[in-house]
Amino acid sequence: MFEDMQTVYIWIVLAPLIGAIIAGLFGKVVGRTGAHIAAIAGVAIAFILSLYVFKDIVIDGAQAFNGAVYTWLVSDGVRFEVGFLIDSLSAMMMVVVTFVSLMVHIYTIGYMKDDDGYQRFFSYIALFTFSMLMLVMSNNFLQLFFGWEAVGLVSYLLIGFWYKKPTAIYANLKAFLVNRVGDFGFLLGIAAVLMYFGSLDYATVFNNVDKVNNLTMSIIPNQDWSVITVICILLFIGAMGKSAQIPLHVWLPDSMEGPTPISALIHAATMVTAGIYMVARMSPLFELSTTALSFVMVIGATTALFMGMLGLVQNDIKRVIAYSTLSQLGYMTVALGASAYGAAVFHLMTHAFFKALLFLGAGAVIIAMHHEQDMRKMGGLRKYLPITWFTSMIGSLALIGTPGFAGFFSKDSIIEAVGHSTIPGASYAYFAVLAGVFITALYSFRLYFMVFHGKERMDEHTRSHLHEPSWVVTLPLILLAIPSVVIGYLYVDSMAFGNFFGDAIFVLPQHDVLGEVAKMFAGASSIAWAMMLHSVFTLPFWLAASGVATAWFLYMKRPDIPAVIQQRFSLIYTILINKYGFDRFNEIVFAGGSRAIGKICWRYFDVKLIDTFVINGSAKTVGWVSLILRRMQTGYLYTYAFAMIVGLCGLLLIFVYPLK
Amino acid sequence: MSFEIPDVMPALPEIFILSMACIILVVDLFLSKTSRGASYMLSQATLIIAVLITVATFSEASVLSFSDTFVRDGIADVLKIAVYIATFMVFLYAKDYLKDRGLFKGEFYTLGLFAVLGMMILISAHNFLTIYLGLELLSLSLYAMVALHRDSIQASEAAMKYFVLGAIASGMLLYGMSMIYGITGSLDLAVISANAANVSDNIVLIFGIVFLLIGVAFKLGAVPFHMWVPDVYQGAPTAVTIFIGSAPKLAAFAMLMRLLMDGLGSVSAQWQDILILLVLLSLAVGNIVAIAQVNIKRMLAYSTISHIGFLMLGVVAGTEEGVSASMFYAITYTLMSLGGFAMIILLSRKGFEAEKLADFKGLNQRSPWYAFLMLILMFSMAGVPPFLGFWAKLSVLSAVISVDLVWLAVASVIFSIIGAFYYLRVIKIMYFDKAESSEPIHCSKDMSLLISVNAFAVLLIGLFPGGLLSLCLNVVSAS
Amino acid sequence: MNPEINIAQYITYVFAAFSLASALMVITAKNPVQAALALVLTFFLSAGIWLTLEAEFLAITLVLVYVGAVMVLFLFVVMMLDINMAQLRAGFIRYLPIGLLVAVLLAVLLIMVVGPAHFGLEQFAAPTRHAADYSNVRELGRVMYTVYVYPFEIASVILLVAIIAAIALTLRRRPDTKRQDPTQQIAVKRADRMRVVDMKAEAKK
Repeated sequence: MFEDMQTVYIWIVLAPLIGAIIAGLFGKVVGRTGAHIAAIAGVAIAFILSLYVFKDIVIDGAQAFNGAVYTWLVSDGVRFEVGFLIDSLSAMMMVVVTFVSLMVHIYTIGYMKDDDGYQRFFSYIALFTFSMLMLVMSNNFLQLFFGWEAVGLVSYLLIGFWYKKPTAIYANLKAFLVNRVGDFGFLLGIAAVLMYFGSLDYATVFNNVDKVNNLTMSIIPNQDWSVITVICILLFIGAMGKSAQIPLHVWLPDSMEGPTPISALIHAATMVTAGIYMVARMSPLFELSTTALSFVMVIGATTALFMGMLGLVQNDIKRVIAYSTLSQLGYMTVALGASAYGAAVFHLMTHAFFKALLFLGAGAVIIAMHHEQDMRKMGGLRKYLPITWFTSMIGSLALIGTPGFAGFFSKDSIIEAVGHSTIPGASYAYFAVLAGVFITALYSFRLYFMVFHGKERMDEHTRSHLHEPSWVVTLPLILLAIPSVVIGYLYVDSMAFGNFFGDAIFVLPQHDVLGEVAKMFAGASSIAWAMMLHSVFTLPFWLAASGVATAWFLYMKRPDIPAVIQQRFSLIYTILINKYGFDRFNEIVFAGGSRAIGKICWRYFDVKLIDTFVINGSAKTVGWVSLILRRMQTGYLYTYAFAMIVGLCGLLLIFVYPLK
Repeated sequence: MSFEIPDVMPALPEIFILSMACIILVVDLFLSKTSRGASYMLSQATLIIAVLITVATFSEASVLSFSDTFVRDGIADVLKIAVYIATFMVFLYAKDYLKDRGLFKGEFYTLGLFAVLGMMILISAHNFLTIYLGLELLSLSLYAMVALHRDSIQASEAAMKYFVLGAIASGMLLYGMSMIYGITGSLDLAVISANAANVSDNIVLIFGIVFLLIGVAFKLGAVPFHMWVPDVYQGAPTAVTIFIGSAPKLAAFAMLMRLLMDGLGSVSAQWQDILILLVLLSLAVGNIVAIAQVNIKRMLAYSTISHIGFLMLGVVAGTEEGVSASMFYAITYTLMSLGGFAMIILLSRKGFEAEKLADFKGLNQRSPWYAFLMLILMFSMAGVPPFLGFWAKLSVLSAVISVDLVWLAVASVIFSIIGAFYYLRVIKIMYFDKAESSEPIHCSKDMSLLISVNAFAVLLIGLFPGGLLSLCLNVVSAS
Repeated sequence: MNPEINIAQYITYVFAAFSLASALMVITAKNPVQAALALVLTFFLSAGIWLTLEAEFLAITLVLVYVGAVMVLFLFVVMMLDINMAQLRAGFIRYLPIGLLVAVLLAVLLIMVVGPAHFGLEQFAAPTRHAADYSNVRELGRVMYTVYVYPFEIASVILLVAIIAAIALTLRRRPDTKRQDPTQQIAVKRADRMRVVDMKAEAKK
């Protein structure tokens, strides 16, 4: 169809960008309809072309593409380029990103229809799609960093989209500051890569890992650290910021202040998984450092378990899902730490579909409830919103890992892989992910029951207006529900255990936990069927089932019990409701501390030293000289001619006379 | 004596512009006042066709013709194309301004085209004679254009100053040329370069170079031969100021490069120090005095002086990298300056000249779009990344550093930081001060479009500077 | 004394000395007409120097163009303008000391370089004299239309621009100029100019 795949790649990124420009800069000219048509058309083109690329690379097995499209700058022999690396990993990411983005675009027409910033919103999300594609398609660290910052920027813009709401501004600022910490590590990591490899190109870096493998560096004297470990941990700090891992997770729950489509697209399905993608992409580096892998695994396991527990006590529908996202990101991170990159990326994909579905479902509920987000004021919505109810149920089932649904395959692969891992911290991680299964089922179905079943707790006025939102809202729900069911079954064989990613992901033989897991199912013609049959005899299945049963018991059968538990275990409840005190700690130590330091600097350095002495002093001098020189510009011709002659004499005196 | 008929094909663009200028001169006589637009359209068509001709016959190889008085190489072609495009933009920006003030005459366009011809001759010069004659053709056209607004005392005064000082400067240039002719025995730049290296008498050489450089410094507006710049920029009608402030800088750069690199490249050690002094003085005076200005045309005039300092910085390095950096600087500066003066034209109306900084107060309230465009231009002039001006400054600085003149680079950066103040002040005035006039801004569609394209070119080339940078480097290293 | 100095060289020095003196008169003469006339003299003397340098054609051109055309025109202008010399003189005196200082400095610097030390016969051998039948008009013509054809053409364009500029800056079409239009005069009809009025005879009372 296309002679030159490079053109296709360029158009995949350009189409959303053009859409964003039309919607953003010419929003007034093209109007609301024009804006959403432009943005949706841009993303739709990107989606269709991405499918074509996916077919080309994955199904037809074409050679991976790695090349520069535009050389931006060459400095000291280092080339800074815009380039694409298109292999099965990025092709899969492109399809996921553009598909979810397209769904969210369509959904937005309904969700934002009464908002003044309609065009602005479309412009932002199309711009986000562009940035995210730049990130996943990059073949070098610089462009990765560009995409990284660009998605971050759009994320801040969108968290603060309702910029008149103080909480939104606060959340926006928090996201910005926390991400700065992560980005600082990330940037240091990239700088270290440039320093030791002399290149920012993925391929060059990966080909030279052997040369750097045994190098050490000493940041603190007499303390030799492996260069690879330092680089990996620095890069992972970047991932911790973006993918919201403990302790840099605090911004994600607050980001729910943004409009719901954003929560679905950016803070669940795509942007927050950029960290996971990046680590998977860097697998040739991470594989060389067991220390870094252990670090990754412990952080991930902690996030997976403890963030899930916070979901149990939240009453805001979006926040519950936000904590669930944190927990699932933790699962992916654990998988990365266990060297099960395939499983991590596989979970990333399935999670993108079902979590976007859950968020959009929550959004549909929020529209129907007239922007009420408190679950205690919902209940029994099943009969008013049948499509939303059904699709949300599918999403929840997929999330908790019901056999057959997408989440089951990916999550079980991770759990099995962690069980086979032998690196330090693996047993803790195994416990955490197992316990996490129960927690996940509990909070998911707590939400499900509180919203869709039980007593109708909303007021009369809201109830009378309850109805299913328009088709632009329900259609994306249905389209997302389909992959949430089938995608796991279709791809578990190849992605988690097969050779789907080929050379894109590198695993050392001694770390190949997924290979170990696959041996369990050796002989079965389809691992998918084997897993499903086997699941009934495994712990995760029963943990999930008991989680659902507990939720049913506590919130359907005996709704009075939760209050009792809350009283009985008030200490635990207080800890949970305060989110383990992370926010408070940050508020006092980091925010307070830096404010204090800032004050000191301001009072002593800025006011005393710089303002009075340096700035005002030099500004005065400059102003004074300026006035004098201006006086010389008399406006008289003879002054000017005279100045020229004096200039001539000066030059002759300085340059010719000394030679005499 | 045998004589070979010279090959005129390399000079095709020059011949075309000359013919068209004459045709427009004659056609204009038969036009009534209402159909004067035809001269304008013809001039614009001429420039577009000239771009096409030059692009079609583009070649990086260097070709000599007319007994080696003329050279055509990649540098010449790129600079000429830049000159055509800049002039095209000037004519478009100037159109409404001229109409409002009764200056919409055919002479503006014929003189403009003759000035373009003068620039082309300068750009393609390979002989002292052609440099001198090209300079005179350009200058004479500009003197007349400044004085074109006959009823304005300011304009006449500016023209008078420009003319007299220009005459002194070209006298000095000629004197310097005669000195160098005296000791090298040739007017041909290549021969001069070969002979200058063997000259035993350095004093006469440097003596000649000093005079020569004064001629160039005047044309560029380098301190201390800059006095005319603010007065002429302010006094001339803005439509002419925008012309003086843009395309001729490209020609002046070409003149500097031809004289110093082609003609005296073999003795670069002799002129480097002189040039450094001019650079430092220009940076200092340009940036510092601009702060005290309240008239924006004067402010931009001083800003020009400081930019000229930067432009010469690349030539100071004397390397291929340096010359290509300077060339890049000249092209980018032209683009930014066009945008800056176009904003002044935009805010001016019939009977009102938006010359004061105060006229920009609260522009954001009157038109956020134009304020945004001006913001781009000012940031770029101040050298804020990632705008175009940043790359221009960066490339000349890296050229200077690569020849171990770090102190000079540091000094330049300090002056440009001082200079950033007055650019940012414009932005502050536009965004944070209250508007004094609430009058809506009228301008024709074509002008509004071009000014947007202009400002966005500054932004976009700033984001992707690679193409233009490597083009400059390629043509410089090919010749 | 250098035996090579012959009579022609003496003449050159005489011309040079006089032309310096007359040039000084140009800027010191009280009367502008006198100054202009002194300038004419300077041109004549320069032409004389050129003659001794075997540049006969250029010498004659200088007299024809500058003396014959430019200066005569200039004299007319000077005579028609009313210049207040006292006012000019006041400024002259005021800036004289600093002006003199710079002028002397410049003169010293110039003489230092452009003197026999750098341009003497040791540095540059005296040019060989041309034969008597050597025509510098022919030589000039030959190079002008061959080797220097490109600069020559540019010079012609410069003249064209000068003409355009002069006309553009001075030609004024006044709107109130009264002019005859013959076509209009011829085309006039009786009815345009004359009206026959029918009226009753008035009787004297």
